[in-house]
Amino acid sequence: MNADPEKNTNDKPKEMDRRSFLGASAFAGVGLAALAASLKPLLELDDLTSMEKFLQKHYKELSPDDMAKVLKRIEREVKDEYGVTPDVKDLKPMDGVEYVYALNLTRCIGCRKCVHACAAENNLSRDPELQYIRVLKMPHGSLDVGKSNHDYNPESVPEKDHFYMPVQCQQCENPPCVKVCPVNATWQEADGITVIDYDWCIGCRYCQAACPYSARHFNFAKPSIPKERLNPDMAYLGNRPRKMGVMEKCHFCIQRTRVGKYPACLEVCPAGARKFGNILDHESEVYKILTTKRVFIQLKEELGTSPRFFYYFDV
Amino acid sequence: MKQTDNRSTMVLVVLSAAFCVLIAAFTFEWWGVPKPLPPIPLVDPKFLETKTWRQSYADLISLEEDVDHFDCYICHEEDKKSVLKFDANHRVIIPEEHEDIVMGHGTHGRNNDCFNCHNDKNLLLLQARGIESLKMENSTPLCGSCHGPTLRDWEAGSHGRTSGYWDRSKGPYKKQDCVNCHDPHSPGFPGRRPAPAPNHLRHVSAPSAAQPSTQH
Repeated sequence: MNADPEKNTNDKPKEMDRRSFLGASAFAGVGLAALAASLKPLLELDDLTSMEKFLQKHYKELSPDDMAKVLKRIEREVKDEYGVTPDVKDLKPMDGVEYVYALNLTRCIGCRKCVHACAAENNLSRDPELQYIRVLKMPHGSLDVGKSNHDYNPESVPEKDHFYMPVQCQQCENPPCVKVCPVNATWQEADGITVIDYDWCIGCRYCQAACPYSARHFNFAKPSIPKERLNPDMAYLGNRPRKMGVMEKCHFCIQRTRVGKYPACLEVCPAGARKFGNILDHESEVYKILTTKRVFIQLKEELGTSPRFFYYFDV
Repeated sequence: MKQTDNRSTMVLVVLSAAFCVLIAAFTFEWWGVPKPLPPIPLVDPKFLETKTWRQSYADLISLEEDVDHFDCYICHEEDKKSVLKFDANHRVIIPEEHEDIVMGHGTHGRNNDCFNCHNDKNLLLLQARGIESLKMENSTPLCGSCHGPTLRDWEAGSHGRTSGYWDRSKGPYKKQDCVNCHDPHSPGFPGRRPAPAPNHLRHVSAPSAAQPSTQH
């Protein structure tokens, strides 16, 4: 074998005898078996990318025909995995609409219903758990998120001398997460929603590091959603099931808001603390709130991200 | 020459032994299979409920539910004026027929007279200062007759619950009445048990009172 190549150069090539051939074969066999055994975890990969998905173009380059095919493929995949035929749409921004969210800190009671309604609406992984909204509990008289707590679990909320601040994607006008994406898998749409193409994301997590609000979440494991809790009303840029290794974030319930409905977190809020609408419409609730109420903060406004998510107080 | 042959054979034997160990290790997972984490229970569907916690009289009528409870003259006599009784602290005494009512409207028990809001001549009507008597299902102007700024905010949509379509041209939109969220006799917003806290940090560390940290 190659154990003595320097000797073979001056002599005529030495012929391999039967004994050393068998020995070498045994060694090679053992080596190959070890290699195969080390690759065993690959057997557990069941979620391989199909050729169709691999060759899919970027969202903005898809023609309507391409998009129809992609939506068919997603429908098929969801049907195969969950046994439910979903209604997957590709919804475009409406003209003359820019979404704004306003949250009344005086009213929020910290019940976390929005967190779970969001998970149900947007097909978030339940185990491991992934949530778009975090409700921070803070003592009255301060607004220091460093001193906040999101693990509170008392018998009854609201607790005395505390207030609650739900934090989710702030849909910044100047989003740092979009700037750092190396593959343009995330961008800001005309109506102000920053979206992710889950089929284009490479999972580098730069955007997670760039976001000052911890609003972007990474699928470290394959998301698990119980079949009976799957929401079949889906949008391509919204709540269609994600795979392992991609980012996701709040998209203002794009599958609801782009057909004119309120987001799920607003519908479920028992205190009416959440307000949503089109800021360009001067009759909208959010326009009236931003023009007449004490709009106290945009979270971390000194960073210049200019959130479209406003926190306000009742006088 | 013989020596180099021997040495290479030795190396190969040692290597193949190591590989055999690796095969066994990979196949039988000697370093142990990570213990599966306890499953996260699914959230109770009651936390996903979008209905208001109480129904107004108007809701009950539109749902055609039993509203006998609101027909005062099943018990009261129509031509006999109801007389309120007060205790020594001038707090109204709730008769046992109305024991489900908790009088808790206003701080320091200031709103302590049934006929501040109910019409004393016709119990089916509501009565407020400065406005005509109102039907039971139309209670919002009554609340607004005292809570002006809140009514203004409610009309603008910044106070209270809304549901349906933000884009009014696309579908129906519902604004909840005051009494859908506030019990008029005791209007403070009731506390409740919060939905489960997030579980997402349990992979890193789960310090809890039940399991003290073993690190020190």
